[in-house]
Amino acid sequence: MVEDSDRGYGRTANKSTLLKIVILGEGGVGKSCLMSRFISNHFDDHSFHTIGVEFMNKTIEVNGKPYTLQVWDTAGQERFKSLRTPFYRGSDICILAYAIDDRSSFNNIKMWLNEFLHYAGVKNGIDRYPFMVVGNKSDVSSKDREVTFDQLKQWCEENKIATYIETSAKNDNNVVEAFSMAVQRWVDLEQRAEKELGMLHHPDTVTLHGSSTASNIRATCCSRFSEA
Amino acid sequence: MDEESMWKGFYDKLQQQKSIEEQVHDYKIQEVDDSFFEKFGSILKQASQKAALEESTPLAPLKEAEEQDGEQKVEQDSKSILRDSDSGNETLLDTDSEPEEHDKIDRYVEAVGWNVDELYLEVLYEILHNVGGCDVGCEVGQLAMLSYIQEAFKIANDKHTELLTQAEAKEPPELMLNVEVVEAKDLVPKDPNGLSDPFVTIYLMSNPSHRYNTSVKSGTLNPSWEEHFSLPMPGSVQEDSLVLEVWDFDPAETVKEKMTKIFEVKGVKGLRKLMKEIAITASTGKHDNELIGTSNIPLKSIPAGGMNMWYSLSKKSKLRRQGVVKVRLNFSSEKNSQVAAQEHRHLLRIILLHELENSKVAPYWWCGNYSAAAEAILTQHVAQSGLSATDNCLAQWAVYCAVTTDHPLSFALFNILLDKITKPLQSGLINEEDVKLFWDGARKLLPTCYSHIRKLRKKTAGDKTVMKTLKEVLKILYKLSVLDAPESLDLFPVNLYGWLRDDKEKLTIHMVLEQAVIQGASDWFVHILDNNECKDNTEDTRLQHLIRVIQLVRSDLQRAVEYYDRVFVEVMGFPYSKALYGLYESKLASLVESEVVDVCKSLKRLRYSEGSTTTLAGGINGETGLGASAVGSEPLTMGTTLFELYLTLQRFLTLGQGLNETDWQSYAISKFHAWFFGGVAQWLDIAAYKALTRIEKAVDLDTLAPVDTNVKYSSSGVDTLAIFYQIKIFWQQLAWPDVEGCYTFVAKIIDDICRCCVFYSDKMASRVDNVGLVTNVFEERFEVTTDWCVAINNIDYVRQSLTPFVHELGMEEIIQKMCEARSPVEAQRCKETLQNVIANAIDTVRNKIVDLLEIMVRKMMPSITRFLMEGAELLHQDCSSMDRVMRYLEANLDTLYQHLNNENFSRTLEIVWEQLGEVLYELIQANLEHRRAKITRYIDPRRLSKSAAASLDAKRRPPSFFSNLHECLKIMIRSFRQDNKDTYSSETLKRVEYLLKLHGMETRELIHQFHLERWQEQQTIQEPKMGMLTVRAQFVDDILKIEIMNARNLTPADSNGLCDSYVRVALLPEDSFANVQKPKTQTHNKNLFPLYDEIFQIPLSPEQRRLTDGLIHLVVKDKDMFSVSNTFVGEAYLHFSEVPDTPAPISSLPQQLLPLSRPTSIDGEAIKALETRQGDRQARDFVKKQRAKFPSTKQFFSLG
Repeated sequence: MVEDSDRGYGRTANKSTLLKIVILGEGGVGKSCLMSRFISNHFDDHSFHTIGVEFMNKTIEVNGKPYTLQVWDTAGQERFKSLRTPFYRGSDICILAYAIDDRSSFNNIKMWLNEFLHYAGVKNGIDRYPFMVVGNKSDVSSKDREVTFDQLKQWCEENKIATYIETSAKNDNNVVEAFSMAVQRWVDLEQRAEKELGMLHHPDTVTLHGSSTASNIRATCCSRFSEA
Repeated sequence: MDEESMWKGFYDKLQQQKSIEEQVHDYKIQEVDDSFFEKFGSILKQASQKAALEESTPLAPLKEAEEQDGEQKVEQDSKSILRDSDSGNETLLDTDSEPEEHDKIDRYVEAVGWNVDELYLEVLYEILHNVGGCDVGCEVGQLAMLSYIQEAFKIANDKHTELLTQAEAKEPPELMLNVEVVEAKDLVPKDPNGLSDPFVTIYLMSNPSHRYNTSVKSGTLNPSWEEHFSLPMPGSVQEDSLVLEVWDFDPAETVKEKMTKIFEVKGVKGLRKLMKEIAITASTGKHDNELIGTSNIPLKSIPAGGMNMWYSLSKKSKLRRQGVVKVRLNFSSEKNSQVAAQEHRHLLRIILLHELENSKVAPYWWCGNYSAAAEAILTQHVAQSGLSATDNCLAQWAVYCAVTTDHPLSFALFNILLDKITKPLQSGLINEEDVKLFWDGARKLLPTCYSHIRKLRKKTAGDKTVMKTLKEVLKILYKLSVLDAPESLDLFPVNLYGWLRDDKEKLTIHMVLEQAVIQGASDWFVHILDNNECKDNTEDTRLQHLIRVIQLVRSDLQRAVEYYDRVFVEVMGFPYSKALYGLYESKLASLVESEVVDVCKSLKRLRYSEGSTTTLAGGINGETGLGASAVGSEPLTMGTTLFELYLTLQRFLTLGQGLNETDWQSYAISKFHAWFFGGVAQWLDIAAYKALTRIEKAVDLDTLAPVDTNVKYSSSGVDTLAIFYQIKIFWQQLAWPDVEGCYTFVAKIIDDICRCCVFYSDKMASRVDNVGLVTNVFEERFEVTTDWCVAINNIDYVRQSLTPFVHELGMEEIIQKMCEARSPVEAQRCKETLQNVIANAIDTVRNKIVDLLEIMVRKMMPSITRFLMEGAELLHQDCSSMDRVMRYLEANLDTLYQHLNNENFSRTLEIVWEQLGEVLYELIQANLEHRRAKITRYIDPRRLSKSAAASLDAKRRPPSFFSNLHECLKIMIRSFRQDNKDTYSSETLKRVEYLLKLHGMETRELIHQFHLERWQEQQTIQEPKMGMLTVRAQFVDDILKIEIMNARNLTPADSNGLCDSYVRVALLPEDSFANVQKPKTQTHNKNLFPLYDEIFQIPLSPEQRRLTDGLIHLVVKDKDMFSVSNTFVGEAYLHFSEVPDTPAPISSLPQQLLPLSRPTSIDGEAIKALETRQGDRQARDFVKKQRAKFPSTKQFFSLG
């Protein structure tokens, strides 16, 4: 077997993994704010309804490795349904957002989950796909809170979703952490899948570096093309 | 290449390519998906051709033959499919069917009245007394006229003879009593049903046998007759009186025994006879007709000017009044014109019917030409009755209108008459009676006209006769519409216009026309639905069915626009097509909308995934990835059909926009795109999927040969762009009107195109993966082939198309529209998103290119490394391996240079240097770290020759190995740099170069290198921690003059915290100055700020003086009384370049303050390199000596 332990040697610095993320959730829970806070660290109190979809990308490091996140922010209003669903296909991570001061937005998460499962064609089941539930607007006063963290936790456990967090796009609380967690979850699931694939192909030896599974590791390295 | 022109020109190239070489190839790609995109792209064309075909030939149910067969068949048809019932309550007249027998009799009776004999007698009389010498009658003999009239009246011979005798005997009466029986009221009921069937018999008391009867008005107690009679007056007006008898006609009794006969009767002739018998019995009172009442009017009571009076009816036995009857009475010397006109109408009718019967003229063809005899008789009648031309026309109008309901006459006929009548009517010259007569006629004619319009579709569109007839019909309508109908007249009785909407307001001819048009269209729509039923109930068939229906409706509209619209507008000012469109669009909308929404909802998702690393060599039949088996054909067909429907509707709407430019937005169908909302996503998905499948096939078929000599990409690149082009065409055809949707879908399309590019790159990469490997007995090596270049160019070609592609999708327009529809801020956000998506797409594809370049370079690496290694090992014995690496590189890079564009070529070079740098770096490091090099990332060691593989081993190399390697690298880089810059673009390579230089040095050079590093280090000291040394130095010719002036802040070296210091001056490199003295100063005891103030003169040889990197090494030491060696306090360096060459007195030179320092670790490159030379005594000693200078903690510890 070819020795492969030097993979990543020397040049991974400018090579990052490309991940497509979609953010779903009821209109007005602050999906766009989350994205805008994450991408440009900017918060606009009077932001507009998203029309259909919005797209931005940003590179972050998780565990010392760079990941370029292609974030697709979707419109929550029902009339945009057929405009946003086409974007579900091929996404690597799905963030389900609700607002903690809006009970109904929390209750509807299941609906969003199902919509995603249907249109994205998730094959291996919820627990094999990196879902992340984000309760936004954690900055609201406790009297306005309608969903407790325990309820979030309970719901996620019931629905086999392992990652969840409360954030505030307004106060910049946990936003980057949320995205990092999501990526981390993706990495974990990916490694698990590779491991299983490895087990499948080499039942007696566990390869830690199953080189190229079906994961869509695409490369981006804009720096190389600044085209001086 | 200019991207714009490239994009624009590519389709042409594609076409050329098709025609020049590879039609088969092209065909194969389309085969992948059954020409999916070609279909998507050409649906429009096909559809229009299809429709055009339909429009040019009448549809099956429209056959002209059917029309000629007579309308009965139509009626049967309509009955058999039970659909016309939908168009409603077709009245008898309206269906144009044969009226049922009894109706016919009724009407005949009504028209002719009971006094046929009277009329016959009159006509005979007129024939006998023909007037005018040069009239028509001259040409036709009297006998011919007599026999004609006998035949027309169907009078038996004996009767004829009898009447003829009477006529001959008859003297023209001088005075006439004109009686008009107007109406009766409050008659006594005589029938069990509480009504009567009254008719009036009038006669003069003096002549009771000569009776005149009115027609029977059935089932009424308030009949209205309005019939005129002229009675010849007897001599004695004074005694005579007029008797009016109102009778109840009771056919049940009288006809009882004759009922059986009715069923035996055949044809009109026989029936008339029968009825005549009945009539005669009735008039002679020989049966059970019941008398309702009588009124006796003495003639002397009638004033000369005439009178109009109600008379009550009485009956002998009854005291009660039996009702009243209204009569108008006057005397005239000749025939009353109204009587004459009525007579003329009767005559006209009898003759016309006879003519029609005899001539067997086709419906709608008779236009006023009588046979000569008939013409003569009519002319005589007109003349002898003293009728005016207008009277004649009116009579004709009334009769023709009545007849045309049963036997359609030419519409032109009516137009001619109308032209004659209109003026008198408008000038008010015509009396009320005749106006009423005229409108009664019109009332009978109108249903036929409207019926014609409603049934326009049964005619061949564009046929001259049809068009002419339509024009006539419309003209009739127009002429009638400009006349004022009497207020009281109900022009559109409900029983004749079952299809009219029940509107409360008074209808005008225009309004009814509109309704007739709409009704006709509705019927047609129903007809279309009936004749195009869904064969089965799958969604696809249902959609196909809808498409068919829309196309048929469209054809109808097309016909309307092409042929009828102009006539309608010209004559009636009526927007025919627009009216039709209004109806059709709402019908279609309600038919299609729910269906489409349902289908969109139930669309099955396409199931596929494009695993980027899975090789989908199986193509469409493969089991993995894009395999059709995984997707299933149903969603694909459905999507395509749905799209076809979309386009059909779009075309339909375009037609509507043309017809109603101002208000088309009010059409339900103008929002049709919204029904398809759910479908667009599916279409995009299908398009993306199809694109991927095609790309896969295109790559499979690609021979990687440039398309032509001018370009450097191959067929799959062109194919892929063609696919993008098709997607663009699809998008343009979709012409999605909603801007928000547009924006989102464009974003999706760009993202999909990006996916396609990535997919294409991956396919290309795996396509060339095994290309270029050369194996022979000596070696296995990789050669860059044109295939590789073409593959790279293909991807780049596709990448370059992205920006113009997006431009062509109309991004700018969308943003502009968004700006108008929403707000500039939102438009800006959308714009940013689209730009981000594009940038991301382009970036991703670029990285794909880099990936491929890296793969390629990695394949070159083993050979390069190997040649380099061999060269390094053997450089001085054998130069050929250097040649070999050069030749190898030259050959490969030349191929690349020939075929790649500059950008990609220089990128390749960068990657080469980068990878080379990394390989070499690892080799050097491994060597230094005394371990096996890990370079499998770049090179499979099995691919290396033995000697090269050996170089990976953990073996220490002599400096010559490195210097050889360094030489090779320098030569190589010099040869292949594009620019002539000296700096290395790759950081790694810079580093490698330095390391090679370092390790290639002899030990003494390395030692000097160490000193130079120390000197450089000294320059960076900001705050000297070990004190400073002040000196002045100069060269005077070849003599170095150096003045050691003082030191300050020396580090204490002794236990007393002070220092017994002196300075020793040496010149470096040591071996170059072996024969030179190393002077030192006096020792200055117990002083941390000693003042040495000593000047030394060191004579040098010219060679020594000219050394470029000569250093003056100044070491401060502590004089130790007790130990053998003195303690090191600090050192400083002065480079020869820092020493001025001047004859000036040294005291005039500036003082140089040198910070003192000491080596602290072996981190420096030079000392590290020295460290590795364990077998070299000089190196070992030197390192040991330097280590001794390291700060010792012990020393200070002892200070406590």
